[in-house]
Amino acid sequence: MSDKNTALFCLESLKQAGADKAQCVLTNTEKHEFNVDCDKLSLLRTGYDTSIKFTAIKDGRRGTASLNGCARPEIEKAAASAVEFSKASPSDPAYDIAPAQPAKVFESGLAAPDLGAMYDRLSALLAQARAKYPRLKLVQAIVNFNRKTEYFLNSNGVDFTSSTGYYDGSVFFLSQDGKKTSSFNYSGFTSREMEKELIGRVSIDTLFRQSAEQLDTKPLNGKFEGEIIVTPDCLINFLQFITAMALRDASLISGSSVYKDKLGRQIASPGFTLHSRPVSYEIVDGYFVTPDGFEAENTTIIENGVLKTFLLSLYGANKTGLPRVSCSAGCDVIEPGDKTLEELAAPIKKGLLVTRVSGNNPNESGDFSGVAKNSYYIENGKILYPVSETMISCNIPKMFMDIRGISKERVDFGSAVYPWLSFGGVTVSGK
Amino acid sequence: MKKDLKEYAALLGGYSELRLQENRNANISLMNGNLVANGQTAAGGLSARVYRNGAWGFASAPGADVETVKKVLAAAARNAEFLDSRLKKGLPPLPSLPGSAVHDLSTRKNRKSQKELVDFATEIDGYIAGKYKALKGRRVSIQGLDMEKAYVNSYGSSSYSMTPRSTLRVVMFTEKDGVPVQASDYVCSVGHFEDVFSEPAALFSFVDGIYEKLRRSAEGVYPEAGLKECILDADLAGILAHEAVGHTTEADLVLGGSVSAGLMGKVVASPMVNLTDFAHTCLGRPCHIPVYVDDEGVTAKDAVIIKDGVLTSYMHNRESAAHFGAAPTGNARASEFSDEPLIRMRNTAILPGKDKLADMVSSVKDGYYLAGWTNGQADSTSEFTFGVMGGYEIKNGKFARSLRGATVSGVAFELLKTVTMLSSDMSWSAIGMCGKKQSIPAAMGGPAVKCLINIGGR
Repeated sequence: MSDKNTALFCLESLKQAGADKAQCVLTNTEKHEFNVDCDKLSLLRTGYDTSIKFTAIKDGRRGTASLNGCARPEIEKAAASAVEFSKASPSDPAYDIAPAQPAKVFESGLAAPDLGAMYDRLSALLAQARAKYPRLKLVQAIVNFNRKTEYFLNSNGVDFTSSTGYYDGSVFFLSQDGKKTSSFNYSGFTSREMEKELIGRVSIDTLFRQSAEQLDTKPLNGKFEGEIIVTPDCLINFLQFITAMALRDASLISGSSVYKDKLGRQIASPGFTLHSRPVSYEIVDGYFVTPDGFEAENTTIIENGVLKTFLLSLYGANKTGLPRVSCSAGCDVIEPGDKTLEELAAPIKKGLLVTRVSGNNPNESGDFSGVAKNSYYIENGKILYPVSETMISCNIPKMFMDIRGISKERVDFGSAVYPWLSFGGVTVSGK
Repeated sequence: MKKDLKEYAALLGGYSELRLQENRNANISLMNGNLVANGQTAAGGLSARVYRNGAWGFASAPGADVETVKKVLAAAARNAEFLDSRLKKGLPPLPSLPGSAVHDLSTRKNRKSQKELVDFATEIDGYIAGKYKALKGRRVSIQGLDMEKAYVNSYGSSSYSMTPRSTLRVVMFTEKDGVPVQASDYVCSVGHFEDVFSEPAALFSFVDGIYEKLRRSAEGVYPEAGLKECILDADLAGILAHEAVGHTTEADLVLGGSVSAGLMGKVVASPMVNLTDFAHTCLGRPCHIPVYVDDEGVTAKDAVIIKDGVLTSYMHNRESAAHFGAAPTGNARASEFSDEPLIRMRNTAILPGKDKLADMVSSVKDGYYLAGWTNGQADSTSEFTFGVMGGYEIKNGKFARSLRGATVSGVAFELLKTVTMLSSDMSWSAIGMCGKKQSIPAAMGGPAVKCLINIGGR
């Protein structure tokens, strides 16, 4: 039975089990992964999987089940379980599946990996890192090839097939000199090709160089309110309060979101524009179909600081009466500004270049505090030296309303495109 | 699931291993009374790993039949050969350390249906909604995770384990002066739901305790920033043991340059501090993450990391033990069927001392009792940052105002040298999911710990 026919069989099994509304998503994945552990290539890993997710709505009640593998008896059992589980649910008119849309087949990226190129690039990374940064320890480095084909069907007639194939990779490293060890750092990328050297991708070379510098850090004394420049690698730590928490279902349904009354209003400084672009070429690992069964569209979330949309799913939209977002976020692209990194630093009397943070999860208000790791002290416009044991505290919604500058240069991670941002009003505490 | 893979042993050559695994999750979540999650998932299959002269090949696929066994073994062998042909490490075979064990911790009671589980959560939710009407929000969730594994390798190891874990978590929200305030707690233990929980009413006092925490937190103050004399509760002692000390002593991270690389045999803590990663039994009681034979077929033993303040051992897999010339500890664990085993902690704890908590509190003139964590991260240097859920000021040996929360940080091997008292009791947390490449359950525990710790300011 072909995968498409298996997916159709899954949908039919849900209907046969009694679902009024049925949805199934069959996903085939193939992964080829090279691993470096402790400066040595150590493992080649291959994984194949088929997973199937079932959603059943019966009498306004919803249940879900999932399994992997394609055995017919198991599929029938899982479909029956989803319907059975729905009986445990209260009836809720917000439970629904996507309406009919024209059937489509989407395809992007690569069909197969070039294992030789993956091996060569990773070997070269080890050699180049050893030669250029002798004190660097590559604790772990991974290069993957991922191929995924997804069949999304529902009983309203949704019929999407999407296939994607791409490489991704990550590095996790520190520097060591005798008894001195620097803080670890990491970065990652997503790509359609495996020709370019890994050390030249995203911020890897810069972060390797900084790692050696960070063997000798200085603590800061005292406490001050200043500005911080957040690097593209670190920005997600602050941005995800907005995109993964405050604009999402849970915060808006519970009414705890600080942005619940802010649609169409300013939530960031003018000049800050954030898009989610799952179907643009600049995003390598995007998606064509949302988890609730809609064809995904590129969406502007914040435009010149004004909130253009919440990030509500179909369920969240039905529950709150607010509009559903036309994507499921991620795939962030932030518009560039007009400053160089030097120009961002120039007006800062006292502050930090923040490259990584280790801290708490922001609460519902967006209060955040944590240690600025792998970070540098800035004084009178100059980036001076790496710091240790330095904490930053801030309120993320206030930070985004106090953006002092956006760089014109951006880092294209393949999964997101971010510039450097400088923010005011951050409390910096030394020892 | 098939419990014995020995029939496939004849297919294994050189050093190779085969693992059949299924992870089953139940997930029920109520948000303000709305059932937002109501389902179960299952993901399983076979994996094989093959060693060739220092190069590893790994492959996985769904299925449990002999054809899939042959398929994953062949793919893993191809991968090992691909790497070996290029790397030419020429390393000797790994030491033979056969182990075997069978441990099934499934309940002997009748399993509850999904409806009974939803009803259980709904009754607790209804209790909260009825009694605490002023709340701005509430969440009640039930999660179950069954990890079932069967294993065989070419050195004669074979094992089977079925380890269930059950969790019930409650979160409450309110507002104080327009600012959201949150409190949460959980019950989490090894065992199926039927063995961990009895009836909803038995949890009402647990729920009342969360509301009391929320009320105190809403009225609470933020602590002063700076280095303070504090008492960490058992939860914080546990995350300190796991995040800030444990990770630096995993042998792969030691080889990667963690600070512990230069500390073996050195004093790293007060002489009263003992810290162990337990395999399956601690002080005569079963642990939450029992590992008898690890996912490399090695008989699991306790890793005594700190003994009387001195760093005495790392945690090892087969390969790192050979590298360091140390006894293997059986710390190799894989999360999903498709994951390769990595060096992972199991049940990591600071051992209790001889002090009474009341005496510890009365010995603090101006400090804090810090309780519960919201998250924790640590560095290769043993520098750590933890979010603290709440606690109390301690003034002149007595609890004073409640705390709303805090962030604490420091360097673990410096903090441990400031430890002056340890409570005589200890408790465990089983809810942790350790995220080193793969997300896997890990237990952590400890006594109350009196020490100096840096508190972050606002």
